[in-house]
Amino acid sequence: MTLDERRKKVYAESVSLIADMGFRDKLSIEEMNFLLNLLDLVVIKQEQPGLIQTLKNWVSTNEGSEIDEIIKATLLATDFNDEESIEQCLQLVTELLENRE
Amino acid sequence: MISQIPEEYLFDLESEQRVLSSMMHSEDACIEAYNILTESDFYSPRNALLFELSCSLFVREVRPTLVEVLKEGHNLGLFTNPRDIEELKYIAEHYIDDENIKYWIDKVKDKSRLRKFVDFLKTSSEILIEQQGTDVEQILMSAEEKLTNLTALEIDDHVDTPADMANLGYNEVERRFLRYKTINEVNKGVIPLDGLSTGFDNLNHITLGYKPGDLIILGAQTGHGKTAFALHTSKAVAVDSKKNVLYLNTEMSRQQIALRWGSILSGIEHERIRAGSINETELSIILNAYSRLRNSGFYSYPCPNLTPEKTVSIARKFKAQKNIELMIIDYIGRMDKYDPRIPEWQMLEQIVKTQKILAQNLNMAVMCLVQLNADGTMQGARRMKNECDLMLKLTPIPREDFELSEEIKKYLNPNYYLIIEKNRDGRSGVSIPIVFDLQKQIMKDAERIS
Repeated sequence: MTLDERRKKVYAESVSLIADMGFRDKLSIEEMNFLLNLLDLVVIKQEQPGLIQTLKNWVSTNEGSEIDEIIKATLLATDFNDEESIEQCLQLVTELLENRE
Repeated sequence: MISQIPEEYLFDLESEQRVLSSMMHSEDACIEAYNILTESDFYSPRNALLFELSCSLFVREVRPTLVEVLKEGHNLGLFTNPRDIEELKYIAEHYIDDENIKYWIDKVKDKSRLRKFVDFLKTSSEILIEQQGTDVEQILMSAEEKLTNLTALEIDDHVDTPADMANLGYNEVERRFLRYKTINEVNKGVIPLDGLSTGFDNLNHITLGYKPGDLIILGAQTGHGKTAFALHTSKAVAVDSKKNVLYLNTEMSRQQIALRWGSILSGIEHERIRAGSINETELSIILNAYSRLRNSGFYSYPCPNLTPEKTVSIARKFKAQKNIELMIIDYIGRMDKYDPRIPEWQMLEQIVKTQKILAQNLNMAVMCLVQLNADGTMQGARRMKNECDLMLKLTPIPREDFELSEEIKKYLNPNYYLIIEKNRDGRSGVSIPIVFDLQKQIMKDAERIS
């Protein structure tokens, strides 16, 4: 299996896993859509490296605080087909992370 | 006997799934499939549904990836079961590369036609059994018509009966009669257009505008206004009339095209805009000018490696997603050849033929810009003339015309002729004097001195 084929397989498996959890109510619809959008952004569109880095920073320091909840709500409300919406989200999340520190 | 045909001979689920999978992975596959197939070509209702979802996303400019198809289906309440995901995942993994997409689309289409043929046979045999007293000639004629429609290419599958033709003719005359009445009573003599505005009143008057299905060829020598003409047309159609235009440019960068618009819409000299030698008031005028472009229907696609096949693909995409009414190719001499061994004239002929078919199939106007030789002639002109509906030439007015022509003296500062070499729907052999301000990149009808 080539690297590209493996990448596609991992993508399809991940979509399947996330959607399955959504369909079985282990994730909310908003959480499922967010994770699916994020997957498309990283694997298919290969865009927004800034957002991905910010998310990595957040995940590694997430303590479940009130600010973390606000960040999560911000992310779930973002329209991933609208660049402006992604930019605004990125800016807000960055500011919230800075405030938390 | 018909019932003895094995069911599995009438469909090919693998081909259907490979087409769907390709649509999830590639935009080119979406363009091809969207243009050739319909839901009814799919045997499996599930595959037909996935095709419909993918097309609906594609038309809304959302790439129909596995995620988007899944989300769309879920939002519409079509996918609610974990089994649905497995099915989609299976299809997504059956991706084929773009080069093979046509093969799989053809297979889906062929099976669809085969099913229609079997339906035809079944219906025919039922008619034979149930209507034994019917006139044989009538049965055969009816069967022949249905069979002809099955074998004909989809684009040609409509035949006008005498009644169709008579209705069409009368409706057209009635439409023109009412329009003529409106011109006299309401518009006070100003003729409404049949197609898109050309940006020149005199040319509008003679042609009634660029109509859907028209191929327009505009020839000019190097440095004599090909791109200015293209952008002037774009302004008339996309900025002034707010209709959608696709502009394919083979030699200019995005920045160059954007800067030209600044000049055309603000009336400030192009050289000064390029150099940045403008004052603050002019900067504000230019800002206002660009806001008109922002709200227009102008879509630009700079494409140095444009090929005839690529124009077809791009045009189909923009027709589906933006409903473009005019495509301008600036210019066809710079397009890559199908085959490097063929002579230039033959290549131009092929390109022009492709564009004419494209204009008719997509029901939009296509304008091709071509380069004139130094002596004002056009390479492959005769063949191009045969294909096009309107052939125009843009040339500077010769010095002797200013001295000898009484007609030209009746106009205020004309410097170029827009010559109508061919006009399928009206007068040709007409030279329209225009004013081409090279500095401001602006063209307009030359005013007649009263």
